[in-house]
Amino acid sequence: MKIKISRHYLYILLISVFLFLFVIIFSFGILIPKGKQYREFRQELRKENVELRKYQDFYDETFKTLKDLQSKNRHIITALDTAFNPDRFEKQHKVFFSSLHVSKIARSKNEEGFATYEVNTTSQMSSPKNFYDFLDALNKSDWIIGVNFPIDFKRDGEMIKSSFTMKVYTNNKDKNSTASGSVAK
Amino acid sequence: MKYSYIKPRKKTPITPELQIIFTFFAITLLMLFLTYAFLLYKDYTFEKDRYSIIEHKKELKVSIKKMEKQISFIQKQKALAEKIFTQNMVLKDSIANLFDLVPQRITLSHAKLLRNGLILYGITPNKDVYNFMLQAPLRSIFHKTYSSFYPAKNGWLMFVSTNYMDESQIEELESED
Repeated sequence: MKIKISRHYLYILLISVFLFLFVIIFSFGILIPKGKQYREFRQELRKENVELRKYQDFYDETFKTLKDLQSKNRHIITALDTAFNPDRFEKQHKVFFSSLHVSKIARSKNEEGFATYEVNTTSQMSSPKNFYDFLDALNKSDWIIGVNFPIDFKRDGEMIKSSFTMKVYTNNKDKNSTASGSVAK
Repeated sequence: MKYSYIKPRKKTPITPELQIIFTFFAITLLMLFLTYAFLLYKDYTFEKDRYSIIEHKKELKVSIKKMEKQISFIQKQKALAEKIFTQNMVLKDSIANLFDLVPQRITLSHAKLLRNGLILYGITPNKDVYNFMLQAPLRSIFHKTYSSFYPAKNGWLMFVSTNYMDESQIEELESED
Protein backbone atom coordinates (compact mmCIF):
# COMPACT_ATOMS: atom_id res chain seq x y z
CA MET A 1 0.00 0.00 0.00
CA LYS A 2 1.38 3.30 -0.96
CA ILE A 3 0.72 6.42 1.19
CA LYS A 4 0.36 9.42 -0.95
CA ILE A 5 1.19 12.77 0.73
CA SER A 6 1.03 15.90 -1.23
CA ARG A 7 4.14 18.06 -1.41
CA HIS A 8 2.35 20.86 0.43
CA TYR A 9 1.58 18.71 3.46
CA LEU A 10 5.08 17.36 3.42
CA TYR A 11 6.44 20.91 3.76
CA ILE A 12 4.06 21.62 6.61
CA LEU A 13 5.15 18.44 8.33
CA LEU A 14 8.81 19.30 7.90
CA ILE A 15 8.34 22.83 9.24
CA SER A 16 6.36 21.49 12.17
CA VAL A 17 9.03 18.92 12.99
CA PHE A 18 11.76 21.54 12.67
CA LEU A 19 9.94 24.02 14.94
CA PHE A 20 9.06 21.29 17.41
CA LEU A 21 12.69 20.22 17.60
CA PHE A 22 13.75 23.83 18.05
CA VAL A 23 11.29 24.26 20.94
CA ILE A 24 12.51 21.04 22.58
CA ILE A 25 16.21 21.86 22.17
CA PHE A 26 15.72 25.47 23.32
CA SER A 27 13.70 24.41 26.34
CA PHE A 28 15.97 21.61 27.52
CA GLY A 29 19.27 23.05 26.32
CA ILE A 30 18.92 26.68 27.36
CA LEU A 31 15.75 27.53 29.24
CA ILE A 32 15.78 24.81 31.89
CA PRO A 33 19.51 25.25 32.80
CA LYS A 34 18.91 29.00 32.96
CA GLY A 35 15.94 28.39 35.24
CA LYS A 36 18.11 26.24 37.50
CA GLN A 37 20.76 28.97 37.56
CA TYR A 38 18.02 31.50 38.41
CA ARG A 39 16.96 29.40 41.38
CA GLU A 40 20.55 29.04 42.56
CA PHE A 41 21.15 32.79 42.25
CA ARG A 42 17.95 33.50 44.14
CA GLN A 43 19.02 31.12 46.91
CA GLU A 44 22.46 32.69 47.05
CA LEU A 45 20.99 36.18 47.20
CA ARG A 46 18.75 35.14 50.06
CA LYS A 47 21.79 33.82 51.93
CA GLU A 48 23.68 37.04 51.28
CA ASN A 49 20.68 39.02 52.49
CA VAL A 50 20.50 37.00 55.70
CA GLU A 51 24.21 37.56 56.25
CA LEU A 52 23.84 41.27 55.49
CA ARG A 53 21.04 41.51 58.05
CA LYS A 54 23.33 39.92 60.64
CA TYR A 55 26.08 42.41 59.80
CA GLN A 56 23.60 45.27 59.93
CA ASP A 57 22.31 44.12 63.33
CA PHE A 58 25.86 43.83 64.66
CA TYR A 59 26.68 47.24 63.20
CA ASP A 60 23.61 48.77 64.89
CA GLU A 61 24.52 47.11 68.17
CA THR A 62 28.15 48.33 67.98
CA PHE A 63 26.99 51.80 66.95
CA LYS A 64 24.63 51.92 69.93
CA THR A 65 27.40 50.77 72.29
CA LEU A 66 29.74 53.41 70.89
CA LYS A 67 27.16 56.19 71.19
CA ASP A 68 26.31 55.10 74.76
CA LEU A 69 29.98 55.08 75.69
CA GLN A 70 30.52 58.46 74.05
CA SER A 71 27.58 60.05 75.82
CA LYS A 72 28.41 58.51 79.20
CA ASN A 73 32.09 59.50 79.01
CA ARG A 74 31.72 62.83 77.22
CA HIS A 75 33.57 64.66 79.99
CA ILE A 76 36.53 62.28 79.89
CA ILE A 77 36.73 62.28 76.07
CA THR A 78 36.58 66.08 75.85
CA ALA A 79 39.01 66.49 78.73
CA LEU A 80 41.59 64.23 77.10
CA ASP A 81 41.20 66.13 73.83
CA THR A 82 41.69 69.55 75.43
CA ALA A 83 45.13 71.12 75.50
CA PHE A 84 46.15 72.34 78.95
CA ASN A 85 45.86 76.09 79.49
CA PRO A 86 47.61 77.30 82.68
CA ASP A 87 45.78 80.65 82.72
CA ARG A 88 42.37 79.03 82.44
CA PHE A 89 43.34 76.48 85.10
CA GLU A 90 44.39 79.23 87.49
CA LYS A 91 41.18 81.14 86.82
CA GLN A 92 39.01 78.10 87.47
CA HIS A 93 40.79 76.88 90.60
CA LYS A 94 42.03 79.98 92.37
CA VAL A 95 38.78 80.04 94.39
CA PHE A 96 40.22 77.26 96.54
CA PHE A 97 43.42 79.12 97.40
CA SER A 98 44.59 82.52 98.55
CA SER A 99 47.07 82.41 95.74
CA LEU A 100 47.72 79.88 93.00
CA HIS A 101 50.49 79.79 90.49
CA VAL A 102 50.93 77.22 87.75
CA SER A 103 54.33 77.07 86.09
CA LYS A 104 55.09 76.28 82.47
CA ILE A 105 54.21 72.86 81.23
CA ALA A 106 56.89 70.33 80.34
CA ARG A 107 56.33 67.19 78.30
CA SER A 108 57.15 63.97 80.13
CA LYS A 109 57.17 60.38 78.91
CA ASN A 110 54.03 58.73 77.57
CA GLU A 111 51.88 56.77 80.01
CA GLU A 112 49.61 53.94 78.85
CA GLY A 113 49.67 55.40 75.34
CA PHE A 114 48.70 58.90 76.47
CA ALA A 115 50.84 62.02 76.34
CA THR A 116 51.61 63.50 79.73
CA TYR A 117 52.72 66.97 80.76
CA GLU A 118 54.11 67.94 84.14
CA VAL A 119 53.00 71.17 85.73
CA ASN A 120 54.51 72.62 88.89
CA THR A 121 52.02 74.30 91.16
CA THR A 122 52.52 76.55 94.15
CA SER A 123 49.67 77.81 96.26
CA GLN A 124 48.70 79.33 99.57
CA MET A 125 45.65 78.29 101.53
CA SER A 126 44.12 78.91 104.91
CA SER A 127 43.11 75.32 105.70
CA PRO A 128 43.77 71.79 104.40
CA LYS A 129 40.05 71.67 103.53
CA ASN A 130 40.80 74.00 100.64
CA PHE A 131 43.16 71.39 99.29
CA TYR A 132 40.50 68.65 99.63
CA ASP A 133 38.01 70.81 97.75
CA PHE A 134 40.65 71.47 95.12
CA LEU A 135 41.20 67.72 94.66
CA ASP A 136 37.42 67.22 94.31
CA ALA A 137 37.24 70.00 91.74
CA LEU A 138 40.23 68.58 89.87
CA ASN A 139 38.21 65.47 88.99
CA LYS A 140 35.53 67.65 87.40
CA SER A 141 37.88 70.03 85.62
CA ASP A 142 38.33 70.49 81.86
CA TRP A 143 41.43 68.29 81.86
CA ILE A 144 42.45 64.90 83.24
CA ILE A 145 44.88 65.85 85.97
CA GLY A 146 46.52 63.77 88.65
CA VAL A 147 48.33 65.27 91.59
CA ASN A 148 51.77 63.75 91.96
CA PHE A 149 54.21 63.27 94.75
CA PRO A 150 56.11 64.96 96.30
CA ILE A 151 53.60 67.30 97.92
CA ASP A 152 54.99 69.91 100.19
CA PHE A 153 52.99 71.69 102.91
CA LYS A 154 54.74 74.43 104.82
CA ARG A 155 53.36 76.59 107.58
CA ASP A 156 53.61 80.29 106.80
CA GLY A 157 52.07 82.23 109.68
CA GLU A 158 48.33 81.50 109.56
CA MET A 159 48.57 80.16 106.04
CA ILE A 160 49.78 76.89 104.51
CA LYS A 161 52.09 77.10 101.54
CA SER A 162 51.89 74.12 99.27
CA SER A 163 53.87 73.06 96.26
CA PHE A 164 53.26 69.96 94.19
CA THR A 165 53.48 68.56 90.72
CA MET A 166 50.48 67.76 88.61
CA LYS A 167 50.38 65.44 85.66
CA VAL A 168 48.10 66.44 82.80
CA TYR A 169 47.02 63.61 80.48
CA THR A 170 46.04 64.18 76.86
CA ASN A 171 45.46 62.03 73.80
CA ASN A 172 48.59 61.06 71.98
CA LYS A 173 47.78 62.73 68.65
CA ASP A 174 50.10 60.53 66.58
CA LYS A 175 48.76 57.22 67.88
CA ASN A 176 45.13 57.87 68.60
CA SER A 177 44.10 60.38 65.98
CA THR A 178 42.37 57.72 63.89
CA ALA A 179 40.61 56.15 66.83
CA SER A 180 39.10 59.39 68.06
CA GLY A 181 37.37 60.22 64.77
CA SER A 182 33.62 59.91 64.54
CA VAL A 183 31.69 57.33 62.56
CA ALA A 184 28.86 58.42 60.32
CA LYS A 185 26.15 55.91 59.60
CA MET B 1 -13.38 26.11 -23.94
CA LYS B 2 -14.53 26.07 -20.36
CA TYR B 3 -13.95 23.09 -18.05
CA SER B 4 -15.63 24.51 -14.93
CA TYR B 5 -18.51 26.69 -14.06
CA ILE B 6 -16.80 28.34 -11.07
CA LYS B 7 -13.95 30.78 -11.22
CA PRO B 8 -10.53 29.31 -10.43
CA ARG B 9 -9.25 30.00 -6.83
CA LYS B 10 -5.99 31.80 -6.45
CA LYS B 11 -3.36 29.43 -5.10
CA THR B 12 -1.22 30.71 -2.15
CA PRO B 13 1.50 28.88 -0.21
CA ILE B 14 0.04 30.11 3.13
CA THR B 15 -2.78 27.76 3.57
CA PRO B 16 -5.06 27.85 6.63
CA GLU B 17 -3.24 24.78 8.04
CA LEU B 18 0.07 26.55 7.73
CA GLN B 19 -1.39 29.64 9.36
CA ILE B 20 -2.55 27.59 12.35
CA ILE B 21 0.84 25.95 12.69
CA PHE B 22 2.67 29.26 12.42
CA THR B 23 0.39 30.89 14.97
CA PHE B 24 0.86 27.99 17.36
CA PHE B 25 4.65 28.04 17.03
CA ALA B 26 4.80 31.83 17.11
CA ILE B 27 2.95 31.88 20.44
CA THR B 28 5.12 29.05 21.80
CA LEU B 29 8.36 30.70 20.71
CA LEU B 30 7.23 34.07 22.03
CA MET B 31 6.52 32.54 25.43
CA LEU B 32 9.86 30.76 25.42
CA PHE B 33 11.79 33.90 24.46
CA LEU B 34 9.91 36.01 26.97
CA THR B 35 10.70 33.50 29.72
CA TYR B 36 14.32 33.46 28.66
CA ALA B 37 14.46 37.26 28.61
CA PHE B 38 12.87 37.34 32.06
CA LEU B 39 15.46 34.87 33.39
CA LEU B 40 18.30 36.85 31.81
CA TYR B 41 17.01 40.07 33.36
CA LYS B 42 16.56 38.43 36.77
CA ASP B 43 20.05 36.93 36.67
CA TYR B 44 21.43 40.37 35.88
CA THR B 45 19.54 42.00 38.75
CA PHE B 46 20.53 39.19 41.14
CA GLU B 47 24.16 39.60 40.21
CA LYS B 48 23.87 43.37 40.62
CA ASP B 49 22.15 43.02 44.01
CA ARG B 50 24.69 40.45 45.14
CA TYR B 51 27.54 42.75 44.22
CA SER B 52 25.95 45.69 46.05
CA ILE B 53 25.30 43.48 49.12
CA ILE B 54 28.94 42.35 49.12
CA GLU B 55 30.07 45.98 48.84
CA HIS B 56 27.70 47.01 51.63
CA LYS B 57 28.98 44.15 53.79
CA LYS B 58 32.55 45.28 53.19
CA GLU B 59 31.65 48.84 54.19
CA LEU B 60 29.88 47.57 57.31
CA LYS B 61 32.90 45.44 58.20
CA VAL B 62 35.22 48.44 57.91
CA SER B 63 32.84 50.62 59.95
CA ILE B 64 32.45 47.93 62.62
CA LYS B 65 36.23 47.57 62.89
CA LYS B 66 36.61 51.34 63.15
CA MET B 67 33.91 51.54 65.81
CA GLU B 68 35.43 48.65 67.78
CA LYS B 69 38.73 50.50 67.71
CA GLN B 70 36.98 53.64 68.98
CA ILE B 71 35.16 51.65 71.69
CA SER B 72 38.39 50.11 72.95
CA PHE B 73 40.05 53.54 72.88
CA ILE B 74 37.20 55.13 74.86
CA GLN B 75 37.37 52.25 77.36
CA LYS B 76 41.10 52.89 77.66
CA GLN B 77 40.44 56.62 78.21
CA LYS B 78 37.77 55.79 80.79
CA ALA B 79 40.08 53.39 82.64
CA LEU B 80 42.87 55.97 82.74
CA ALA B 81 40.56 58.77 83.91
CA GLU B 82 39.01 56.58 86.59
CA LYS B 83 42.48 55.57 87.78
CA ILE B 84 43.52 59.23 88.03
CA PHE B 85 40.28 60.22 89.78
CA THR B 86 40.71 57.37 92.26
CA GLN B 87 44.34 58.35 92.88
CA ASN B 88 43.25 61.92 93.58
CA MET B 89 40.59 60.73 96.01
CA VAL B 90 43.02 58.35 97.71
CA LEU B 91 45.48 61.23 98.02
CA LYS B 92 42.78 63.41 99.51
CA ASP B 93 41.93 60.73 102.08
CA SER B 94 45.63 60.16 102.84
CA ILE B 95 46.23 63.85 103.50
CA ALA B 96 43.08 64.05 105.61
CA ASN B 97 44.21 61.00 107.60
CA LEU B 98 47.67 62.51 108.06
CA PHE B 99 46.31 65.74 109.47
CA ASP B 100 43.87 63.80 111.67
CA LEU B 101 46.81 61.76 112.94
CA VAL B 102 48.60 64.78 114.34
CA PRO B 103 47.46 65.39 117.94
CA GLN B 104 46.43 68.82 119.23
CA ARG B 105 49.56 69.18 121.37
CA ILE B 106 51.93 68.75 118.43
CA THR B 107 52.22 71.47 115.83
CA LEU B 108 53.48 70.71 112.35
CA SER B 109 55.55 73.29 110.56
CA HIS B 110 56.34 71.38 107.43
CA ALA B 111 55.05 68.14 105.87
CA LYS B 112 56.51 66.48 102.83
CA LEU B 113 54.50 63.67 101.26
CA LEU B 114 56.63 61.39 99.12
CA ARG B 115 55.60 58.46 96.97
CA ASN B 116 57.24 56.06 99.40
CA GLY B 117 57.25 58.06 102.60
CA LEU B 118 56.48 61.05 104.72
CA ILE B 119 58.73 63.65 106.31
CA LEU B 120 57.28 65.75 109.11
CA TYR B 121 58.79 68.78 110.77
CA GLY B 122 57.17 70.18 113.90
CA ILE B 123 57.27 71.06 117.52
CA THR B 124 56.29 68.91 120.50
CA PRO B 125 56.13 69.72 124.23
CA ASN B 126 58.24 66.66 125.01
CA LYS B 127 59.49 63.38 123.61
CA ASP B 128 56.80 61.29 125.33
CA VAL B 129 53.95 63.17 123.71
CA TYR B 130 55.64 62.69 120.36
CA ASN B 131 56.44 59.00 120.92
CA PHE B 132 52.98 58.00 122.14
CA MET B 133 50.76 60.26 120.12
CA LEU B 134 52.52 60.55 116.79
CA GLN B 135 55.31 58.06 116.39
CA ALA B 136 53.20 55.06 117.45
CA PRO B 137 50.55 55.53 114.73
CA LEU B 138 53.27 56.39 112.20
CA ARG B 139 55.09 53.14 113.03
CA SER B 140 51.93 51.17 112.34
CA ILE B 141 51.77 52.63 108.84
CA PHE B 142 55.41 52.87 107.78
CA HIS B 143 58.15 50.26 107.85
CA LYS B 144 61.03 52.55 108.71
CA THR B 145 60.63 55.50 111.04
CA TYR B 146 63.45 57.79 112.12
CA SER B 147 63.08 60.72 114.48
CA SER B 148 65.48 63.42 115.53
CA PHE B 149 64.95 66.19 118.06
CA TYR B 150 66.54 69.49 118.82
CA PRO B 151 65.53 72.08 121.42
CA ALA B 152 63.35 75.03 120.54
CA LYS B 153 63.65 78.49 122.06
CA ASN B 154 60.53 78.07 124.27
CA GLY B 155 61.84 74.88 125.88
CA TRP B 156 59.80 72.58 123.65
CA LEU B 157 61.39 70.16 121.21
CA MET B 158 61.53 70.54 117.49
CA PHE B 159 61.43 67.24 115.65
CA VAL B 160 62.03 65.76 112.23
CA SER B 161 60.19 62.50 111.57
CA THR B 162 61.24 60.56 108.50
CA ASN B 163 59.05 57.60 107.56
CA TYR B 164 59.42 55.17 104.67
CA MET B 165 57.42 52.32 103.23
CA ASP B 166 58.74 49.16 101.55
CA GLU B 167 58.65 49.27 97.74
CA SER B 168 56.68 46.00 97.65
CA GLN B 169 53.88 47.48 99.76
CA ILE B 170 53.71 50.58 97.58
CA GLU B 171 53.35 48.40 94.49
CA GLU B 172 50.65 46.42 96.27
CA LEU B 173 48.75 49.58 97.16
CA GLU B 174 49.13 50.92 93.62
CA SER B 175 47.81 47.70 92.13
CA GLU B 176 44.82 47.85 94.52
CA ASP B 177 44.06 51.34 93.18
